[in-house]
Amino acid sequence: MTEFNNRIAAQREVLLAVNSVHWREELYGMSSGALERWVQANSLNRCSKLVSLLLEVAGKLFFLANKSQEQVTAEYRLHSSEVSELTEAIRLEVQQLQVLGTDMDKN
Amino acid sequence: MNMHFYAFGSICRGEVDKASDVDILACITGPNSDIDTEKFSVYQHDRLRRLWTEGNPFAWHLHLESRLLFSSDGIDFIASLGAPAAYTAGEEDCNKFANLFFDSFNQLLKTRVNATFNLSCMFLGIRNFATCYSIWHGHPVFSRRSPLLIDSPLSIDAEAFGVLTRARVLSTRGIGLALSDQEVMLVLRAAPAIQSWMRQLLAEVRR
Repeated sequence: MTEFNNRIAAQREVLLAVNSVHWREELYGMSSGALERWVQANSLNRCSKLVSLLLEVAGKLFFLANKSQEQVTAEYRLHSSEVSELTEAIRLEVQQLQVLGTDMDKN
Repeated sequence: MNMHFYAFGSICRGEVDKASDVDILACITGPNSDIDTEKFSVYQHDRLRRLWTEGNPFAWHLHLESRLLFSSDGIDFIASLGAPAAYTAGEEDCNKFANLFFDSFNQLLKTRVNATFNLSCMFLGIRNFATCYSIWHGHPVFSRRSPLLIDSPLSIDAEAFGVLTRARVLSTRGIGLALSDQEVMLVLRAAPAIQSWMRQLLAEVRR
């Protein structure tokens, strides 16, 4: 798989983790514009752990996005690993919100 | 430190609508801490020189459509690079973007979760596929409407193409009306024609 495909797959994994539960509006992408829309559409608290994790992974994906022309390097693999760890943390956070029966609209 | 700024993309083609942004390239050497990477496409001068040597599609895009806005040394850096090397990765790139389209389409068939994101990726696959094909074919088209404008254009329902474009804008900029289930279905119905078009052009670049 190319670096480009890896980056798309990484975004898809994060979005699947978030959108696996019902929101007023899905998260459409990992761009700052898409994240801002999602936070507003769902009346989310910007200081919540979930939003913080998403902003962090979005920052890393944006870094990778800027590298879209680059070959796969050790630097890229390092960031891919960080993205994987953050994706897992996001998945757990979403699951926890679901298990606790938290109203997703309020988090 | 020499710095060069260029406009490129839709603004240089006069393709401006409410969803358009302005693409600015910053060419620098060394650290770029003062330049907001969310607002600028930041490239080192050496990296651009390598893209020119590789005959990369982005080098061709900049060569053919960028406009100098500012130069700290009075030199038009991109003009000084001349024409990029011949584009030789047509088959590889067309395969890559066709795979993006097919993978995203298959995801959409499996589940409506991430429907907008997957439609956005389908649009990216179609658009970049068409642009890479057009460079390979010798008549480059960098427009976001490149699938409709290349020598072997995609024949697609205008509304379905509009839905794909909206999905891309929703995913990358977070603006626009959310897509309805009916609009998703509209694209699903158009997908066989898109697949057939891609396979036809892929066969051409593979010959």
